[in-house]
Amino acid sequence: MLTRTRNPDGIADQEMKVIGTRPVRPDGVPKVTGQAQYGADYSAPGMLWGKILRSPYAHARIRSIDTSKARALPGVKAVITGSDFKEQPFEYVGPERVAVNYWHMTRNVMAREKALYEGHAVAAVAAISPSVAEAALRLIAVDYEVLPHVIDVDEAMRDDAPLLFDNMLTRGVEPPPAKPSNVSKRIEFKIGDVMAGFAAADEVVEMNFKTAPVHQGYIEPHACLANFDAEGHGELWSASQGHFVVRAYTAKLLGMDIGNLLVHPAEIGGGFGGKTVVYVEPVAAFLSRMTGHPVKIMMSREDVFRATGPTSGASMTVKIGVRKDGKITAATGLFKFQAGAFPGSPVMNACMCAFAPYGIDNVNTVGYDVVSNRPKSAAYRAPGSPISAFGVESVLDVLAAKIGMDPLQLRLKNAARAGTPTAYGPKHAHDGYAETVQALLKHPGYSVPLKKNQGRGVASGYWFNGGGESAAAVRINDDGTVEVATGSMDIGGSRASMAMMAAETLGVSYDRVRSIVADTASVGYNHVTGGSRVTFATGIAVVNACNKVIDDLRCRAAQIWDVELSGVVWQDGAAHPVSAAIGDFAPLPLKAIAAKRAVTGGPIGAEAAVNAGGMAPGFATQFCDVEVDPETGAVKILRFVAAQDVGRAIHPSYVEGQIQGGVVQGIGWALNEEYIYDKAGRLSNAGFLDYRMPVASDVPNIDVVLVEVPNPNHPFGVKGAGEVNIVPPMAAIANAIWQATGRRMTELPMSPPKLLAALDAPHGI
Amino acid sequence: MASDSAPLVNPPRAPARVVLTSGFSQRYTGGIKTFDIEAKTLRAVIKAMEARYPGVGEILEEETSVVIDGEMHEVVYTQPLKPGSEVFFLPRIEGG
Repeated sequence: MLTRTRNPDGIADQEMKVIGTRPVRPDGVPKVTGQAQYGADYSAPGMLWGKILRSPYAHARIRSIDTSKARALPGVKAVITGSDFKEQPFEYVGPERVAVNYWHMTRNVMAREKALYEGHAVAAVAAISPSVAEAALRLIAVDYEVLPHVIDVDEAMRDDAPLLFDNMLTRGVEPPPAKPSNVSKRIEFKIGDVMAGFAAADEVVEMNFKTAPVHQGYIEPHACLANFDAEGHGELWSASQGHFVVRAYTAKLLGMDIGNLLVHPAEIGGGFGGKTVVYVEPVAAFLSRMTGHPVKIMMSREDVFRATGPTSGASMTVKIGVRKDGKITAATGLFKFQAGAFPGSPVMNACMCAFAPYGIDNVNTVGYDVVSNRPKSAAYRAPGSPISAFGVESVLDVLAAKIGMDPLQLRLKNAARAGTPTAYGPKHAHDGYAETVQALLKHPGYSVPLKKNQGRGVASGYWFNGGGESAAAVRINDDGTVEVATGSMDIGGSRASMAMMAAETLGVSYDRVRSIVADTASVGYNHVTGGSRVTFATGIAVVNACNKVIDDLRCRAAQIWDVELSGVVWQDGAAHPVSAAIGDFAPLPLKAIAAKRAVTGGPIGAEAAVNAGGMAPGFATQFCDVEVDPETGAVKILRFVAAQDVGRAIHPSYVEGQIQGGVVQGIGWALNEEYIYDKAGRLSNAGFLDYRMPVASDVPNIDVVLVEVPNPNHPFGVKGAGEVNIVPPMAAIANAIWQATGRRMTELPMSPPKLLAALDAPHGI
Repeated sequence: MASDSAPLVNPPRAPARVVLTSGFSQRYTGGIKTFDIEAKTLRAVIKAMEARYPGVGEILEEETSVVIDGEMHEVVYTQPLKPGSEVFFLPRIEGG
């Protein structure tokens, strides 16, 4: 069942002809017919195949690498190691949460002094065929000194843990520690007086939780084609979430000017945050520049699991106090996140999002970013927030039971609204959370009786949503068709939503608009497709460009009618005289003006660029019904209802798909997904057969409730919709399992063996 | 004015209340977290902070998002401020 809850006032009620409809998606037919060109589909005459040698050890010093035999193999054109790349200064550049350290990045692309995880790249070859390249890899002799390794975050924080870096001193601690550790950074957010807050509570619950690291699980492995000419000008075809960022990173690692590298966006087969970084692109580019041939590199599925960034595993302690009337008086959270081999986990987001749905006067969150012998973590859908929410929303469930309050009512009583201070400082500026709770309270499924071994769990979530830099170009052809070009990779339907916003603004039908993702030389800078920013920020750029075009069309209509510009208005896709006093003119539709393109001044088009602000956060509340098989510990999801404030759904089918996809990924995170390592720190389940993601038969239809509380800072009221949906599922399922079994699961995944063990153990909370 | 606030422009008529996170304030402003600054745009806030703490202007431009009266924005010079606006500088957020 799909239900729409609209704010009775505001943008959502404006009369719309295109926004809110469900036209056919422009990428559908190419994808299902195999015509879409993904990163691995590109090839070029004279192309070489690049292959990467990877460390078999979780932690090892690289004493030497002998590539002489590989270089001598017929058909091999180049062999490189990490030291062939330009050295980078050790410095953190850019914003705190996503600060880039190119000293780390170049070592993640290819190891130098040490291999820091199994699968870490240590050398690469370019050869005339994949088989020759593979043979060459086998001829590279790496002399390793195997070192003790550490993977678990709690173990990595111990004083006697093996150190990944001998000189890592924890940042964010005053005075700075004298002794190195695996703790890269400590952060803290605090408001009020938590001691006094807990003293005012009637019930206080403190619990420990652990979450497994999980991979984004995109279907398409990383792949690219690079081609350099003799003058050092390069081109890249790559599937990523941001070809402008791929260009910037690759140029930096190769020591070349950004302007000498052109990046073409390939179709992307899923990213979910994991394709905002580079792995194979700098290697292929280096090999191409070195050999003068095009070079193609494709990761295998095993490579993806062993060498690309999952999200963090975590260990945390959450404490919350409530009064008997349900008012939360204080909350604390201690969050320890695996960063993987290099610093940069999303622990700051976890600290900021953990209690953000609620108005709490006294809050303290502390986070630790901890390196360990796993691939460096990468973004994954609302990075950090799902992890802290698992702890917070589980503890709230325990408290609701203790005070005898419905868990949705407990959340509604404490719901943050516009004006509520956040734990990280500023006040909320937008409503939307309470509306998601109210939508579920009214949902008929929430009162359906449950049977034996069944339980119902609820949970909520918060995500900031993003804005930032985007550019768009809109051009009108002489037959009146419209072309919209942006530089935002389409991972969630943005080509359709951009075309719809352009059609609505210009007043033309959707099928007259063609929307494309342009290369880095053909449109202005667009930041990555991530943070649920594109429909908001790039959408504003598209609307602004359309409005420039409309101004131009009015000018041309004024020329045709020989009247002043002020006498022309644009309505319903045509120029109209502003009043009868201007003259007796029939409306001039866009097509008619376009036909007079040449005599009215030449090509019609405009570009717009924004650094968009005013983004509104996403709130989600979900409930699920589960049935637990007491014999096997298997959990069957019977019902899943997901309410989310989306501001305004441009193409509701895509938005529903985003929400359903996020929930399904959350179900996998909750019940099955985990990395299994042997004693040597080697991954034992680097494939989809053994790394168990949900399949269609594992999930019911996800019932989506679109809550539309419009964002006044977007022309059509848009709020980001792609991420917050993955925040609540883990806790919602844990809470449902508790109701079904009486067992409180505090460690993810809640797989059958763990649940069986819990069922056999003495009764818990 | 809060006890840990530092006036940057006199007299502050309906100044903006500028707030830094604990991390930023420890690193760049000697632990002072809040400032009252008379400014009509974000550019004026950044200039005033740079005048008081040389180098901090670039930090605010490059490493933060800004929350103005609860609305999160990217740092853009022309961003207007109302009299008495609350201006929070936060580490920039990026997602997946």
